[in-house]
Amino acid sequence: MRFMIIVKATPDSEAGVMPPSEAIAAMGRFNEELIGSGILLTAEGLQASSKGAKIKFEGGKSTVVDGPFAEAKELIAGFWLIQVKSRDEALAWARKAPMQDGAELELRQVFDASDFATDSVSEEHLEKEKAWREANQKPLSH
Amino acid sequence: MKFMIIRKADAETEAFAMPTQQLIDDMTTYNEDLVKAGIMKGGDGLMPTSRAARLSFSAGKPTVVDGPFAEAKELIAGYTLIEVPSLADAIEVARKWPASDAHGNVQLEIRQIVTAEDLGFNDEQIARVEKLRQQEQQQQ
Repeated sequence: MRFMIIVKATPDSEAGVMPPSEAIAAMGRFNEELIGSGILLTAEGLQASSKGAKIKFEGGKSTVVDGPFAEAKELIAGFWLIQVKSRDEALAWARKAPMQDGAELELRQVFDASDFATDSVSEEHLEKEKAWREANQKPLSH
Repeated sequence: MKFMIIRKADAETEAFAMPTQQLIDDMTTYNEDLVKAGIMKGGDGLMPTSRAARLSFSAGKPTVVDGPFAEAKELIAGYTLIEVPSLADAIEVARKWPASDAHGNVQLEIRQIVTAEDLGFNDEQIARVEKLRQQEQQQQ
């Protein structure tokens, strides 16, 4: 099972305040532990929404609004993508993350192509998706 | 520059509504176009928050609350990672998002990805990150 651990944005992440060096070092050690366990698929941090944009579609037409966006709690600041055997295992890893006071993580299960009803997804689609993931989405290792 | 195109959640994604055959076709074609253009770096769909949990940290200790979570506009339903030269290019890519998603009323958010240099990593730390990325490349 794949899970995404989402780091919710905070006023600091939205203000572009960089974490203290000891927090970056602790995060580096946590990431190495995930890699050492062979479960980390990918992880990224996001720049503040002031460097982003929103695209709203209505009736198929798109409208672009540049950032920043006001509500930090509606935004995300980063994520890990992990492959584990159960939700409990994913939750245990999330609990071990070296987060600062007031930080919030959100754990979400990721869809696999096999989760969609078999009659709505063609074999061809499933094969293409499987091939792409096998080529591009493997656990990192030392 | 790497960007994340975030597909915001809505009432249907939170209700676990399955995609239509048309949307699966359109989204697969869109993803194939990104791969062909050499800019596709990853992507996934997320299950509704009825299967999710939130962890709030206080003094380093987590408190866990199980989903579902009420505000769909605060949630995400999926993401696509792309590598393009600028935000303007990322916006052009996102504008081509399939119209069959969310009945033509989808909301996307584009965010730039942080690099090790942005975080003030020292030379040794950057070298370690680069080594990891190279290992990632070799696995592809």
